[in-house]
Amino acid sequence: MIQWLLAVVLGTMFALGTFLVLRRDVVRVVWGVAIIGQAANVYLVTMGGLVGEAPLIARGDHGEVAYTDPLVQALVLTAIVIGFGTTAFALVLTYRVYEENGTIDTHELGGEGPW
Amino acid sequence: MVEQIVVAPLVIALGAAVASLLTRRWGGLQRAVSLAGGVAYLGAVALLFQRVATDGTLTYQVGKWTAPYGISLVADPLAMFMLALAAVVSLAALAFSVLYVDDDEQRLSYHALYHMMVLGVTGSFLTGDLFNLFVWFEVMLMASYVLVVFYGRAEHTRAALQYVVLNLVGSALMLVAIGGLYGVTGTLNMAQMSERLATTPAGVAALPALGLTAVLFAVFALKAGLVPFQWWVPATYSAAPAPVSAMLAAVVKKVGVYAIIRLYFTVFSGLEIPGGLALPGLSGTGLLGFYGPVLFLMAAASIVLGGVAAVAHDDLDQVLAYSSIGQVGFIVLPLAVAATVPAGTIATVPGLAEPISLRALGLTAALVYALNHAVAKGGLFLATGAVDSMTGTTDLRRLGGLTGAVPTLSAGVFVGGLGLIGIPPLSGFFAKFLVFDTAARAATASGPLGLGGPELALATALLGATLTIAYVTRLWNRGFWGATGDAVERLSPATGQVAVALVLIAGVLVIGLAFDPVFDAAVDAAQAALDSEGYIDAVDPQAEVSGE
Repeated sequence: MIQWLLAVVLGTMFALGTFLVLRRDVVRVVWGVAIIGQAANVYLVTMGGLVGEAPLIARGDHGEVAYTDPLVQALVLTAIVIGFGTTAFALVLTYRVYEENGTIDTHELGGEGPW
Repeated sequence: MVEQIVVAPLVIALGAAVASLLTRRWGGLQRAVSLAGGVAYLGAVALLFQRVATDGTLTYQVGKWTAPYGISLVADPLAMFMLALAAVVSLAALAFSVLYVDDDEQRLSYHALYHMMVLGVTGSFLTGDLFNLFVWFEVMLMASYVLVVFYGRAEHTRAALQYVVLNLVGSALMLVAIGGLYGVTGTLNMAQMSERLATTPAGVAALPALGLTAVLFAVFALKAGLVPFQWWVPATYSAAPAPVSAMLAAVVKKVGVYAIIRLYFTVFSGLEIPGGLALPGLSGTGLLGFYGPVLFLMAAASIVLGGVAAVAHDDLDQVLAYSSIGQVGFIVLPLAVAATVPAGTIATVPGLAEPISLRALGLTAALVYALNHAVAKGGLFLATGAVDSMTGTTDLRRLGGLTGAVPTLSAGVFVGGLGLIGIPPLSGFFAKFLVFDTAARAATASGPLGLGGPELALATALLGATLTIAYVTRLWNRGFWGATGDAVERLSPATGQVAVALVLIAGVLVIGLAFDPVFDAAVDAAQAALDSEGYIDAVDPQAEVSGE
């Protein structure tokens, strides 16, 4: 049951993130990237299986119960910290783009050449 | 062999970053400390290179947590080849930075960021753990974001925004692919993953694994700047300070190439897809058979697009940036041939005691080309920086007649350009020769001449070589020969910068003249890349927990 729910949540998050990344407003693009990053984190947690008990191993308790994989949760912690740093940087950069260019509209910022 | 020396380059790069933060009140001292860090890094890499050459692959289990539970660091000939390339270019670019970047800006955070970027690159080359690779990529990217936006004006912030957003999406994709591969194989240790993927009948679900490696592949193609993920390259290289552009083109791009070689040729290569894939152009049931055509299409498109765009642009930075796209195509082209040829095809190479597999020859070609591109393009970006310092512009329409004004630098650019084209005795000749040789041998091995993959690869390489001649000639004619441009008339000399650029470009000549040891190292690296079992043995993941 929880897998189905998470699958739907993940799909929605990725869709929302993609939608925001394709917007013209740079702040929304950064929001979109942040949401895609969080969706990746949630996806990582679901890769642990989520079928067994909480991974708390009592003394003298060896392998009779199926535990949910705790490694992915450690991985997600690392990924969250990295995502936090990069999102903060992207937001500061957005502000700087606004200061320097006077706009945060991607169309007005323009591209570079035909390719 | 478990050895502490494997962490030496990492510790030195981190130490140099910290030391240059601590000494930032004293500009002169900071520059001295930073340079000393760069020299020490090169020394550590040279020492490690020597050890790996004599003792074979060295590993280090971080915190003495044995594989697959801890993080493994693996210094094998492939990692060492790439590290040596990175160390040489990064020291030259660092020395150039000291002369090129304003004193105040250097004190700000330049040196710390620079060493952090080198740290990320080093970690990516040495790690034997897939999630750890992601972390090192982030270390490298975080530093490179700030370095790209370093000048912080309108065009720099614009280019950096594009670069940052693109790489953040790339990082999320990488996380998804790594998480998925963990879900499918149950491990993050590359050696153990290789072991499990190669188990037949498949111990893992083959098709999901293949799909997830394809997602991961897109991320590495993005880092390497292969078509269709190339469009961040020109704006980013123009925005970054010249020595940073040199590092991005010469070293950071090669991290993407290294990841493709390491993961797809060493770790994932054992995966067999039951029944194969019923797609046109695909043969065999192996994973590399699937990536061969993909690599070929991306390489061919990169060569053509990069070459044509480089001919069309009027700015030194832009020409070199588009040229980088084309040159990475040249690095990947022999990989495509190597992925497609049957594993057992043997190639007898003059100068080598024993024949090697044609696949290894293809990887050798890619590695030699990567080295040539790193040294030549790194040197040319530094030379562009020197031109910018002297004249205040890199626009070819305002340059012209530089041969008369600065003959030494012009000579350097001439040699670097010939290195890109591939004129003997420069390293570029051997690089191009090996690319053509691999494709020609594959064409011979696959039977009578037809319109197969190797023949197409040969034709693409020929077209790419012609385009390279065209844009180098054009750059030379417009910028260095002809009537003196208005920017060249008011020239302020920058002797130190010219000297550093010349030293790096001289590497093209040195590698070409002393090619034997370089070739041997590249062959060793290629064979290590293909030796999945050797890699697994060196890391030695113990699947079972020993008794308490």
